[in-house]
Amino acid sequence: MNIKRILCLLLIACMLLSLAACGKGSKPASTPDSSSDSTATPSTEEKPVIDTSERVDLVFYVMGDPPKDEQVVEDAINEVLLERLNATVDFRFSTWTDWAQKYNLELTSGSADLIYIANWINYGTLANSGAFLKLDDLLPVYAPKLLEIVDEGLFNQCRVNGDLYAVPATWPEYTVSGVKYREDLRKKYDLPVPNSIENFEAYLLGIKENDPNQGLLTCTVAESSGLLTAFDGFMIVNFKYPWVNINGLPYGLAANYDTPSDVYDYWYSEDFIEDCKLMKKWADLGFWSRSALSDPNNDEAFISGLCVAEIAGQNPNKHIAAVNDFAKNHPDWESAYIAYGEVNGVIYPAAATQNGTAITAQCKNPERALMVLELFMSDESVHRLVQYGIEGVHYEIDEEGYYNNLSENFMYENFNTWNLRVNEFKLPQRSDAILNELFKKYEELGNKTKWPNINVYGNFTENYEDYAVERGAVSDVMRQYLAPIQAGFVDDVEAAISQFLEKAEAAGLQKCREGFIEQYKAYCAEYGYDK
Amino acid sequence: MRNKIKEPASTLVLRFISGTFAILGSIVCLFPFLIIVSGSFTDNMTILHEGFSIIPKKFSLEAYKTIFRAPKDIMQAYIMTTYYTVVGTSLGLFATALCGYVISRNEFKYRNHVSFLIYFTSIFGGGIIPWYLMYASVLGLKGSTIAIWFPALTSPFHIILMRTFIKSAVPDAITESAKIDGAGHFTIFFRVVLPVLGPGLATVGLFLALGYWNDWYRSSMFSTNSDTWELQFYLYNLMNAQTAIKQMAQYTGLSTADLPTESVKMAMAVVATGPVLLFYPFVQKYFVTGITIGAVKG
Repeated sequence: MNIKRILCLLLIACMLLSLAACGKGSKPASTPDSSSDSTATPSTEEKPVIDTSERVDLVFYVMGDPPKDEQVVEDAINEVLLERLNATVDFRFSTWTDWAQKYNLELTSGSADLIYIANWINYGTLANSGAFLKLDDLLPVYAPKLLEIVDEGLFNQCRVNGDLYAVPATWPEYTVSGVKYREDLRKKYDLPVPNSIENFEAYLLGIKENDPNQGLLTCTVAESSGLLTAFDGFMIVNFKYPWVNINGLPYGLAANYDTPSDVYDYWYSEDFIEDCKLMKKWADLGFWSRSALSDPNNDEAFISGLCVAEIAGQNPNKHIAAVNDFAKNHPDWESAYIAYGEVNGVIYPAAATQNGTAITAQCKNPERALMVLELFMSDESVHRLVQYGIEGVHYEIDEEGYYNNLSENFMYENFNTWNLRVNEFKLPQRSDAILNELFKKYEELGNKTKWPNINVYGNFTENYEDYAVERGAVSDVMRQYLAPIQAGFVDDVEAAISQFLEKAEAAGLQKCREGFIEQYKAYCAEYGYDK
Repeated sequence: MRNKIKEPASTLVLRFISGTFAILGSIVCLFPFLIIVSGSFTDNMTILHEGFSIIPKKFSLEAYKTIFRAPKDIMQAYIMTTYYTVVGTSLGLFATALCGYVISRNEFKYRNHVSFLIYFTSIFGGGIIPWYLMYASVLGLKGSTIAIWFPALTSPFHIILMRTFIKSAVPDAITESAKIDGAGHFTIFFRVVLPVLGPGLATVGLFLALGYWNDWYRSSMFSTNSDTWELQFYLYNLMNAQTAIKQMAQYTGLSTADLPTESVKMAMAVVATGPVLLFYPFVQKYFVTGITIGAVKG
């Protein structure tokens, strides 16, 4: 009996020990060894010998869902990669479920080598906390072509505290904000083009007169959860102000694009009272429903005819989606789009950090990863493989040079590698014709601004650690007091505004403002926007 | 000859009231489901303009056509989910039954210590990141199907259930007599205890099976290949893709056409719950007996 017991305990102890040993082995504790090996091989002379004798398998983490022909195209890419660089790439997808959480987990648990970065997934904050490798020293040695392909201005926009952590895409995209409206109704009732606040009001009133049952706007608070504005309908004021950023600066501040470091107050000004009175007038005219503050967002309102215009969160792509949908379902309807920038004169392309590639800090083969990235962005045939699939199977290029999709199994940029876009290589799509037209228009307008086609505010990341509590309190006050004001549901606008400002002060508005202005002015000084 | 016992008035009133409440309760439960089924057979535009209704205002199979347009994907998801459910339930049952049996034996000197360890550690957890790191980094299971069925094999709740049931169903006398007759531990377990465990196994098995059928989280966290996705995750992901793309269109220029609409969401719900609904009536009685299993002693 005793011997049996002892044997059992010994067996258990052995199993536990073997498990523990297994665990240690799979931890990436061997990183320092392997990286010192591969960096020791190329000498630091002018023409380093890049050693590709060891096969490397890389993981490229991108957002979204995988295409159906993921394996097929990956195999084709890896065939070329093995030949040229003795490496393979496996694309891993975050899917759109819990993507924010999964992205962060991927960075923590670290199996990715190359990873998609963007300002909308906290590139600045992550770079600051050391999630990515510094690229300044590696680029000239392992990916010199990238230095030629990517403009220095774009690289500078990806710098965080002076260090470069990502390689941006080079195709300029205009993700401007604007107003999407029903052009067919405008023509039918002979109404003015809604390119200003007065004209927009006349447009809506005209439709209301002619068709009282037609829903006008379905504004909600879907795009207004931050510290800029509390109600979507309020975004119409962007027609008036040449602000450096749509909806101004947080905490009720503002600055004009031409003088970005000159911050002034908005919430305490007469202009603000005027604008809120306008909102009340519109609410009383019935432009949006009385339950607008609690209505859930309806993305399909415009395409199903429940509203005639949308003014918040509308970029050119949404307009084109509407155009395509109308072509299919309502051929007699027409969608038109006016960017706020066309009227207020402030247009700029999306920041370079809109789409970029970074190398994770735990990458064991950063040199090879960079070389693969360089190949993806510099070699046209490999670039086409990654972005469009296999020519002849998934796509073809017609006589005018447009991309034509041949198979549902791999669509345009189906690996979601928007970060690998290169201006010179990007194949235009026929459906992009409208988009390209718009972009051309915006580029011309953008060239006339003080900093031609530069997104001045785009790279600023606010570090609000010091006043996080006040910031949260101010946000709550905005949701509670500012939302009804901006939605026009209050009886006495001026009294309501003073009450709101009182509450905001009590919540710590001044502390937030001071913290923000200090950082923002430092940012402007660093980038030279205070000249 | 039937002798009808005359019921006192109070019983009839009680019956009437409880009957009414039960009927109202079942209507409240049934109503949403009817709307979902009817919504799945309705044309999408009608839903947007006129809302939902019990009988489809404009009948259309468009939603189902959209879901089954790529039948290979959804079939794969169905197959994988069935695989996970079968494997997970059987292994989980085995583990839980073994654990419950051991803890229930009076002759196991350390049963209280083991029970304490099991229950105590279920009170607090390390959070998502350590859990994820454990499976992805330490055990290296990211991407494998093991990571999807392994984490949910047992749970303290099931072990308690099993232990209580075995304690009441298998008195010490039986196992002692088997031991006297010369049976080893495993023989006792398989030949003596398991046959009597029917209801207990059915209950825990049902909990496990439903848990596996409905799971999507582990697929989301651990799978690197869409071939290993569970059904619920596949459907949930389709819906998330729609929301995300509509928001992302702000930034990345993805096309927003061809995304799941209201009716497709309804159809997805029907597709996901359909099979469970169909076999539920057959195993229902085990659920009922199972819940009361630990209640009666002796």
